[in-house]
Amino acid sequence: MTESDRLHELLRAAFPEPGGRHSRDVWPAVVARLAAPVKPSWPDILLAAAIVTALALIPGGLFLLAYHL
Amino acid sequence: MPDELDRDVLDRFVRGDQDAFERLFRHFETDVHRWALRLVRDAGAAEDVVVEAFWRAYRGRARFDASRSFGAWMRRIATNVARDHLKKLPRPAAATAVDQIRAPARDLDRDRAVSLAFRRLPPKLQVVATLALIENAPYAEIADALDVPVGTVKSRVFRAVRALRKELARLGIDHD
Repeated sequence: MTESDRLHELLRAAFPEPGGRHSRDVWPAVVARLAAPVKPSWPDILLAAAIVTALALIPGGLFLLAYHL
Repeated sequence: MPDELDRDVLDRFVRGDQDAFERLFRHFETDVHRWALRLVRDAGAAEDVVVEAFWRAYRGRARFDASRSFGAWMRRIATNVARDHLKKLPRPAAATAVDQIRAPARDLDRDRAVSLAFRRLPPKLQVVATLALIENAPYAEIADALDVPVGTVKSRVFRAVRALRKELARLGIDHD
C-alpha cells in the first residue's frame, strides 16, 4: 500500500459517508430569509462613513461623486 | 445536478419572479443538499447551507447568466457557503507534545485524531481535501465548483496532504 493510499484510507475511516436526506422542507426557511431585512456589512458601513466624512471635509466632492454615479 | 429547466424559468428567475425561483429550488434542492452534505458532513448544517445558498442565489440573481448552467452556479454558491460555515467552526489548536504522548491505540482514537488533524487545516484546504481525498471527486469537477483553475486545485490538494502528513506525524499516527 502506498503512502497516498494509506492517507486516503485513514481519511475515509475517519469521515464515513455522511447519512441523512432532507429531514424537512426548507423552502419556508428560504422565504423567511428573503423577507428578513439585510444587515449592512462592516465594509459597507465603513465605506458609507468614509464617503460622508469626505463630503463633509470637501463639499465640492459631491459633484465628482454625482458624476461617477 | 439534474437537467436544466427551460430558459424561460431562468429568465424569469433573473427578473425576480418568486414562482420561478421556487421551481428552481424544488428542482435543485436535493442536489445542492447532497453537495453541501459532502462538504460539511452534517445533515443539519447541510440544510442551513442550502437555505443560505439559495438566499445568496436569489440576491445575486442579476449576476446569473441564464444561458449557462444553473446547477453549476448553485454548486459554486453552495461551496462558498459551506466554506464560510467551516470558517465559523472553532479550529482545534495545533498538535502539542501532550498530543504525541497520547498516541492513539485504538481505531476510534485514531479516527478522532485523523479528524482533529483534518479540522486543523484552513477551511480553503479542507474543502478541496474533502472533495479530492475523501470523496474522490475529479479535479475538474472541484475546479468548477470552486471557480478556480485545475492547477489551483492540484496545488491546494498538495498543500493539504503535506499539512495532514505533518499533523498526523505529530499526533503519532502511522500514515506511511
